[in-house]
Amino acid sequence: MSSIELKTGEKKSGGINKVFSKKTVIGTRVTKPDAPDKATGKTIYINDMVLPRMLYGKILHTDRVHARIISIDTSAAKALPGVHVVLTGEDIPLLKFGTMRDNVPLKAGKVRCIRDEVAAVAAETEQIAAEAIALIKVEYEDLPAVFSPTEALQEGAPVVQEDHPDNRSLAYKFSHGDVAAAEADSDIVLEHEFVVPYVTHCCMGPGCAIADFDSAGKLTIYSQTQYPYNYKMDLAPAIGIHPGDIRVIQPPVGGAFGSKLDVYPFEPICALLSKASGRPVKLTFSREEEFINSPTRQPAEFKIKSGVNKDGTLTFRSVDCLMNNGAYTSWGPTTPIIQMRTFTGHFRVPAVEYNGLAAYTNSVYAGSFRGYGNVQATYVTASVMDMLAEEVGMDPIAFRLKNAQDPGEVTPQGSKLDDCKLKECIEIAAQKTDFLSKHETYAGLCKQPGRIKRGIGIATSIHNAGGAKIHKSDGCGSILKLDDYARATLITGASEIGQGIDAVLTQIVMDELGIPKADVTIVNNDTALGPWDVGVHASRTTFVAGNAALQAARAARKQILDAASKQSNVSAEEMDLRQGHVVQADNGVSIVKLDKLLRQMHFADEPELVMVSEYFEPDSELEDRNHVGNLSATWAHGAYVAEVEVDTETGEVKVTKITAVQDVGRVINRLGIEGQMEGGISVSLGYALSEELLIQDGKVLNPNFRDYKVPTAPETPEIELHFVESDCKASPLGSKGIAELPAIIPAPAIANAVYNAIGIRFFAPPLTPEKVARAIHGATTQ
Amino acid sequence: MIENYSVPSSVAEAAQLLQQGDATIVAGGTDLTPQTEAGARTFASHLVNIQRIEEMRGISTSDGRFRIGGLTTVTEILESKILAEEIPVLVEAADHFASPQIRNAATLAGNLCNASPAGDMCIPLLLLDAEVELASWVDGSVAIRSVPLAEFFTGPGKTVLQAGELLVAVEFRQPAKGFTASFQKSGPRPALEISTVSMGLAAVLQDGLLTGVRIAIGAVAPTPLRATATESTLEGRALDENMISSAVQSVQQEVSPIDDVRASAWYRKHLTGVYIRRALSHVAGN
Ligand SMILES: Cc1cc2nc3c(=O)[nH]c(=O)nc-3n(C[C@H](O)[C@H](O)[C@H](O)COP(=O)(O)OP(=O)(O)OC[C@H]3O[C@@H](n4cnc5c(N)ncnc54)[C@H](O)[C@@H]3O)c2cc1C
Repeated sequence: MSSIELKTGEKKSGGINKVFSKKTVIGTRVTKPDAPDKATGKTIYINDMVLPRMLYGKILHTDRVHARIISIDTSAAKALPGVHVVLTGEDIPLLKFGTMRDNVPLKAGKVRCIRDEVAAVAAETEQIAAEAIALIKVEYEDLPAVFSPTEALQEGAPVVQEDHPDNRSLAYKFSHGDVAAAEADSDIVLEHEFVVPYVTHCCMGPGCAIADFDSAGKLTIYSQTQYPYNYKMDLAPAIGIHPGDIRVIQPPVGGAFGSKLDVYPFEPICALLSKASGRPVKLTFSREEEFINSPTRQPAEFKIKSGVNKDGTLTFRSVDCLMNNGAYTSWGPTTPIIQMRTFTGHFRVPAVEYNGLAAYTNSVYAGSFRGYGNVQATYVTASVMDMLAEEVGMDPIAFRLKNAQDPGEVTPQGSKLDDCKLKECIEIAAQKTDFLSKHETYAGLCKQPGRIKRGIGIATSIHNAGGAKIHKSDGCGSILKLDDYARATLITGASEIGQGIDAVLTQIVMDELGIPKADVTIVNNDTALGPWDVGVHASRTTFVAGNAALQAARAARKQILDAASKQSNVSAEEMDLRQGHVVQADNGVSIVKLDKLLRQMHFADEPELVMVSEYFEPDSELEDRNHVGNLSATWAHGAYVAEVEVDTETGEVKVTKITAVQDVGRVINRLGIEGQMEGGISVSLGYALSEELLIQDGKVLNPNFRDYKVPTAPETPEIELHFVESDCKASPLGSKGIAELPAIIPAPAIANAVYNAIGIRFFAPPLTPEKVARAIHGATTQ
Repeated sequence: MIENYSVPSSVAEAAQLLQQGDATIVAGGTDLTPQTEAGARTFASHLVNIQRIEEMRGISTSDGRFRIGGLTTVTEILESKILAEEIPVLVEAADHFASPQIRNAATLAGNLCNASPAGDMCIPLLLLDAEVELASWVDGSVAIRSVPLAEFFTGPGKTVLQAGELLVAVEFRQPAKGFTASFQKSGPRPALEISTVSMGLAAVLQDGLLTGVRIAIGAVAPTPLRATATESTLEGRALDENMISSAVQSVQQEVSPIDDVRASAWYRKHLTGVYIRRALSHVAGN
């Protein structure tokens, strides 16, 4: 035991006791630790990286949508000085990968969509690589192609994947209660069809990977991935190596938004080029390649039948969802897992059924995208809720309140709404926006003459807010260590892709250990160091990684206070950690400086390092075969109100204000949550009004920012945020996942507001000026 | 492939360099760079950067004529006090143009020489009956010719510019008293938008009658379009609902828009009608 004596109330040189009051940083506005470097241009993004001896890779994408490859002549490319490697599908073994094991890195024999990779080169410079690509000659024989999922499912349609001669990819079926009987008993039954488009993530940093094989055959890959641990498992079969032989390094990335939740062919191609050349190889997409080759949000066609009784009670909901799978299966067609939860469990619907099917086509394929299927489901359900309300003569608020669940209810799929705040969210949203009076006034003015029409609309949704157990584990590990100067390093499995987890984890460590922001370092960019995590998705990171960090910080705190207690004769419960000191909790008087204590612990006869590791696994369930189970440890609702002005001559829709009310559990980083919500709203604004990746006969028509219209600052509306806070029991931190609902709910709120303004409903976003003008004038002016 | 790069500092020097042939002129580069990057066009062997020709900058007036140097940026037009006072329609068009970053680099000459049917600065200048001054090196000295802007454009990306010619400046007369003009531009976004349709209309309203009518429309034809047929149907007529209706009809017949990824021909025609109505109401209101 240490022989050093500690006295209560350590004296400053002047002899005055230092006193520290309790200050929490939880709920305050904390700037992201990476912000200063990013704002000043110091950050080295993956796209900026250069490794010694590095070669540049480039891919030859096909210009066909469905064709047999007759021959590929790479001789001229190989002969070009500066070219190290040229690969085609014939040069590598069959390496199947992907959700359905239906994709390969380089295609041999056949191409099935415009993205298909037919050859790749690695060369001394980007320019040589591009020249080499231009020298490769491919001879094709075109095959009949199919682009619409409906046509793909017809007898005799061209077969896209030989292993799936009926063109059927993933399918989902869920049913609860007696839908047929409920339909027969319903006072009113409405049927609608919706079509939702291809949209894409528009990451500022286009696709990039740097692969580096060592002489022992182990791969280090610098990647933009947002799920590094599963990424190893998914990448390995595409290269033909063991997942354990892959080390993933995650340099700063320019956005991900779900697009980096799978392995895409360019990544194994980059690795195969490195393996073949014995050099590090970097492969980067141009903006045009990024638009064409990166995954999109899942497009779909919905048929929805809904029943309601005259008193406004929902009776049943029956949904058919037909998805365009594209030629290969990424995560897009898995999004019904989350989408279904909204169709079946948003509002109390006694009888529900959902049938989802993805059909292979020669179109491009979709991945995951912030909102994960719920963007589509919420556009549909929120539009239908308004139509049903109108049909029974109720206002949109009363109708929703009537069918909203109460705390403790369980949805047909087993989502446990323990602390359901749906009614509260709706009530606050209605009250803060003076919804009912505006809605009535605008509806009254709708048919009057006038160029500008105003409208107000509400939409609500539910989303997993305590992770989503789509993998056997939904947990996250944390390792926390303190050095001799009381500087803390938290090594976490959670990835930082710009969403701000580093700030949140820093706050948690600061709060538990009473140390300043500058004394906390987060390490989370290397799978060789970090403990397991499932990835940045499902709004899960603050919930899961935050609680893992909290556990670790509390364990470190306990170790520190126990040590301080042993030395000071003050019990651990009576002490606190504040501003770099161990203090008496009641009066804040310093007992010992934390760094001094840590050194005493370290250099004692029985030395102790403060170095803990913890693992947090949320209390959630995998779905059973029938899609039942409490997939997320907690669920959250939001109610968003949009206010719009429609120019009835040009069809332009201007969103003047979004009021967002969301159940967030507890705010951790106020600046971060505002940023996430505002950013999400902007994503949804694009989905509502302007964004669509136009694909005709399998080819992308607008692969550039000129014609693919993301919202810009001037059309960003005024945004008012209201956080519904209460400590979430499933989360020791109290917080819920928040990041996807803002990207989900605004679009249908905008569509409902446009209906309020002009009395026209749009079943296929985006509501472009032309679409709106056509709906208003098409018949008369054309 | 670029083999030579020059940075002349006078029109004479530039004209001499261009006379040697196979040259690409670069001003702000905001059209040239994306076009070459996308492979839509290639550089000639000689890249001539005209940015340091001071005599091609700035806005001046004398003897009732305005002169805007070809290298004047869109930002300079936007911030010009004299234009704001005398020719506000030019400032309006500059205000609808791209984003601050692009406006800082984009030059007037580049906008005109790029000859996009959607080029925004073309529209107000067509209303003003502007002329462009073209310089070339002939027999050991600079030769200048003036071409009415309405005759300058010959097709998408095509002009009457000869090889070796440089657009030095744009000139136009101070408009007559009572001249009112407006500029309108559409697109789903207020910023960074290539016009779906843009329209300028200018006229003098006197005793209820319209005179000196000028209508210019962007993105509805292979070149920025002067709607001369519609202009003459409106000339000298009383500005009333009757006249507005016939203007809408006439202009919708006069344009020949196409379907593309940005809009359909139907929508472009529709907008043309909406805009002429608004433009005439604007004149009526002034
Ligand atoms: C993001 C973005 C947004 C844009 N938004 C708009 C918009 O809102 N409205 C709009 O109208 N345009 C827009 N543009 C297009 C472009 O900015 C303008 O056309 C601009 O005015 C071009 O000027 P520049 O000086 O950059 O021309 P450059 O790119 O340097 O040159 C354009 C062409 O003109 C030739 N040229 C240039 N100067 C001369 C000269 N003095 N004599 C002879 N030939 C010459 C060049 O050789 C080249 O062919 C946009 C472009 C971008 C990239």
